[in-house]
Amino acid sequence: MTKEEVQGAAQEEAQAQSKKALKKQQKEAEKAAKKAEKQAKLAAEEQSTEEDDFAKERYGVSAMVQSQQKLDRLLVRVQDLTADKAEQLIWVRARIHTSRAKGKQCFLVLRQQQFNVQALVAVGDRASKQMVKFAANVTKESIVDVEAVVKKVEQKIESCSQQDVELHVERIFVISQAEARLPLQLEDAVRPEGEADEEGRATVNQDTKLDNRVIDLRTTTSQAIFRLQSGVCQLFRDTLTKKGFVEIQTPKIISAASEGGANVFTVSYFKTSAYLAQSPQLYKQMCICADFDKVFCVGPVFRAEDSNTHRHLTEFVGLDIEMAFNYHYHEVIDSITDTMVQIFKGLRDNFQTEIQTVNKQYPSEPFKFLEPTLRLEYTEAVAMLRQAGVEMGDEDDLSTPNEKLLGRLVKEKYDTDFYVLDKYPLSVRPFYTMPDPSDPKYSNSYDMFMRGEEILSGAQRIHDAQLLTERASHHQIDLEKIKAYIDSFRYGAPPHGGGGIGLERVCMLYLGLHNVRQTSMFPRDPKRLTP
Amino acid sequence: MALRELSSLEKYLGLKKPNKYSTQGDKKVPVLQSNNGAPVAGLVTIACHLVKQAQRPELLGDSAESRAVVQQWLEYRVARLDVCTKDDIKITLKDLNLYLQDKVYLAGNQFTLADIFMYYGIHPLIVDLAVQEKEKYVNVTRWFDHVQHYPGVRHHLPLVVVLRNRVYTSGHH
Repeated sequence: MTKEEVQGAAQEEAQAQSKKALKKQQKEAEKAAKKAEKQAKLAAEEQSTEEDDFAKERYGVSAMVQSQQKLDRLLVRVQDLTADKAEQLIWVRARIHTSRAKGKQCFLVLRQQQFNVQALVAVGDRASKQMVKFAANVTKESIVDVEAVVKKVEQKIESCSQQDVELHVERIFVISQAEARLPLQLEDAVRPEGEADEEGRATVNQDTKLDNRVIDLRTTTSQAIFRLQSGVCQLFRDTLTKKGFVEIQTPKIISAASEGGANVFTVSYFKTSAYLAQSPQLYKQMCICADFDKVFCVGPVFRAEDSNTHRHLTEFVGLDIEMAFNYHYHEVIDSITDTMVQIFKGLRDNFQTEIQTVNKQYPSEPFKFLEPTLRLEYTEAVAMLRQAGVEMGDEDDLSTPNEKLLGRLVKEKYDTDFYVLDKYPLSVRPFYTMPDPSDPKYSNSYDMFMRGEEILSGAQRIHDAQLLTERASHHQIDLEKIKAYIDSFRYGAPPHGGGGIGLERVCMLYLGLHNVRQTSMFPRDPKRLTP
Repeated sequence: MALRELSSLEKYLGLKKPNKYSTQGDKKVPVLQSNNGAPVAGLVTIACHLVKQAQRPELLGDSAESRAVVQQWLEYRVARLDVCTKDDIKITLKDLNLYLQDKVYLAGNQFTLADIFMYYGIHPLIVDLAVQEKEKYVNVTRWFDHVQHYPGVRHHLPLVVVLRNRVYTSGHH
C-alpha cells in the first residue's frame, strides 16, 4: 500500500463516519420536533381544558394543613352516614379505599377506620369532566375532604358498611396524597386463607404485614382486634376498680431477676448493670406489705426467652393482680376468675361487631365459659391425660402439646374454653410460691387456661420472711440481691396471692387467632425489633 | 418380631405345643421346621399353616371372595406395611382409613387372620400417634381398638389408649 492509498482509505472512512453522524443528527432532530409538537399539543389541550373547566374551584390538591385557618366546617363521621341524613349536604374526611372510573362517572369507596361508604363523582352541572378525571386519579389511601349530598340508594351496597346511602360528590380536595405504589393491598391483607386458595388470589404473609404494620393496622381486621384489646384493658380496670383495687405503677428497671435469672434482659446502668422486669411481681407484693390490700398494674413486661413460637413475645403487656386474703387463697382465685368472666361478658355484650369482623377473616367458635369458673386440681388433670394415653410423672410440668390436649379434653367434658388448674407441683414453680400444707410436693399455685393455652400464672406467695429465705436458698438465689424484697416481709405481712395475665394472649385466644403477633400492635420477638 | 407374632398366634389358636422356629437371611425370615415334611418359610405362609393345623379355616375367609381379600391384606402387611417409611405412614393410614370407613373387619363382617396380622403390623405406628391424629384416622383407630380387645389377640403388645369421644371436632388449632 502506498502513502496515497492509505490517505484515500482514511478519507473514505472519515466520510463514511460523517455520513453516519449526519443520519443520526437528522433522526434526533426529527425526534425533538415530534416531542415539541406533542408538548405543544398537550399544553394546548391543558390550556383549553383549563379554560373550559367550570368546576376548577371544586377540586384539587389542598395546601398543606399548617393550621393557617380555623374553618368552621363540621366533618361528619362515616359511620354516621345513614338514611336519616338523606338529602343533606355534608363534609367528610376519609381515605380513598378504592376508585373505579367508568366513562363519565367515578365510583369511590371512602373509608374511615373500619367503616366505608360509596361516593360518586359524575359529570353534570356540579362536576366537570376534568373533575371526574382528577377524582379517578387520586391514589389509593390518600386522605381527602369531600363535600357531598347524601342520597338514599334503592339497592343495598353490599360491599360497604354504610349500605343504605351513597355520597354524590360536589367538591373533593386531597389533604394528603399517598404514594402510588403501596407495599401491600388492604384487600389482600384481609382475605381469609381458604378463599384465596379457591380463587387463586393473593394473601399477604405475616412478615410482610408486620414489616408494613402501619398499613396493615388500617385493615378492618386489625382495627377490630385493637379496639377489642382496648376493651379488655378497660374491662379489666373497671372490674377491679369496682372491687376496690388500686392501680399502681412499678419500675421496669430492676436490680434482680424475679423469676429465675436465665430469661432476663440485662441493661447497662451507669457503672453497673440492671435488668428489665419480667413481671412486677416483687413490687406488687411490696405494695401488699405496705397496706394497699388489693392492687393491679398494667404495663410492659420483658422476657429474654429465645423462643420463636406462635405465642411468645419478648415484650408484652402484663395485667397483674395481687391481693391480700383472709384465710384461703381460693378467695384470690375467685376474685381473678370473676374478673376474667366479667371481661368475657363485656366483650361478648359490647364487642360483637369487632368479634364478627375478625371472624370473617379468621373463623373460630364463640368463646365459652362457665359460671362459676371450672377449677380442676393438677392431679385430676394428670389423671385425665393418662386416661387419654399420655404418659407423665405426677410432678412433671405440663408440656405445650399436653396443655392443649388437656384443654380439648376439658372442653369435651365440661364445654368450657376457660378453666383454672390448681395445686401445681412445688418443684415447677418459682421460689416465692407457698407450699401446700397437706402435701409438700404440691403448692398453692394455679394457672388459668383459655382454649387450652396458658394465660395466667399465679399463686399464694410466701409472706413469712424465714420460709421465704429457706425457699430462695433452695432455689440457689443470691440472698443479697433480693434482700429488700425479703426484708419487706419482716414487719408484718398479710397472707396474699395474685397472678399475671398476658394481654396479647388473652386477645389472641378469645378471638381464636393463631399467632400472638396478630394481637400485638408492634410485636417484639427474638427476630423482630422494628417497626 | 415375627417370631413373637407367631407365638402369639399359636396362643390365640389354642395350639398346645409351641413350635420351634429359626430365621434365615438378613431380613430374618421365620422358618418353621415341621416334623413330617419340608420346612415352611415366611410369616404369612407359616401363619396360614398354623391356622390349618388348628382347624380354623374360617380365619382365612369362608367364601372365595373373602379368601382372596384375606390373602390380599396378608400380602399388603408384608409387602407394604413392613417396608413403610416415615413419609409413607400418613398415606398408608389415610388409605386404610378410607377402606375401613364401611367395614368392621378388613374382610367385611368377619374376623380373619388379616385383622390379626394387620393389627400386629400397624401397632408400632398407632402407638406413636397423638390424640389428634388418632382422631383424624378415626376408622383405623376404631378397627384397631376393636381388634386389640378381641379375645386372645393382643398378647405381647401393649394396649393403646383410644378415646371413645371426639375432642377435636371444631378443627380449632
